[in-house]
Amino acid sequence: MAPPTETGQPGVLVIGETDAKDELSSAWNVIVHNDPVNLMSYVAMVFMRVFGYPRGKAETLMLEVHQKGRSLVWTGEREQAEHYVHQLQGYQLLATMEKSRG
Amino acid sequence: MIDLRVQPIDEKRVRISGIPPVLAAMLRELPETLELRELPDAHARLFPNPTADHDKINDEWQQMVAPELRHLFVSAGETVTRDLTALDSDQGRPEEYQVTFPVEHVNAWMSAINQARLILAEIHKIGDKEMNRTAFDPQSPKHMASLRIHLLGYLLHLFVELDGGNEPENRV
Repeated sequence: MAPPTETGQPGVLVIGETDAKDELSSAWNVIVHNDPVNLMSYVAMVFMRVFGYPRGKAETLMLEVHQKGRSLVWTGEREQAEHYVHQLQGYQLLATMEKSRG
Repeated sequence: MIDLRVQPIDEKRVRISGIPPVLAAMLRELPETLELRELPDAHARLFPNPTADHDKINDEWQQMVAPELRHLFVSAGETVTRDLTALDSDQGRPEEYQVTFPVEHVNAWMSAINQARLILAEIHKIGDKEMNRTAFDPQSPKHMASLRIHLLGYLLHLFVELDGGNEPENRV
């Protein structure tokens, strides 16, 4: 828990504000990792299907996975991130999620 | 020369035609390959943790989500196994094979083919270098696994092309 913080009002402290804010506002990144087997065309198709991305964006993200080893494909609330990771793993993509540092 | 095609023959059915005997044999081996999904390396690849360092989330995932994924993968394999009973030589071209199945099974076919490719890669430790191999020694199980991954990949790519007409232009 975060330490009590001064509010500027005499006698009023806010306890744990930082933690609560973190939990409420923290975003999660969905990451797709490169693997040597999944076809590039297949990965792009999955991005189009799962996220509804147009072909150009799907192919850009796919190329990022291929060239950089990973791509951040979506950022948002944890529950939705879990849903997307579930779907991506259902297509056998190497997908994970991580707390956004932004 | 391979003249492999995946195409709809009407609104309800899709046909893979022009299947060379070597690919027909690989397809008949699909059910057996898919049975290997629970071997440790294959299992780790098909059912990965969703985070790098959140043990609680990972544990819950393996308890709640992995069984759903397993059901999805097994179901796809069973669908394709049933469809493969119709794999037969093309009457017009006896040196080639074909198989016809309901259009609703297309996703199951893509899933089963890709599962098999990933399982083969894990079992035979096939990485980037091996995937770039262009010569294959028939005596090497690893080389033959690479060849299977490539040929099944070519078939999978044809399925992806078949899906190409479904671009969600209006969804973003």
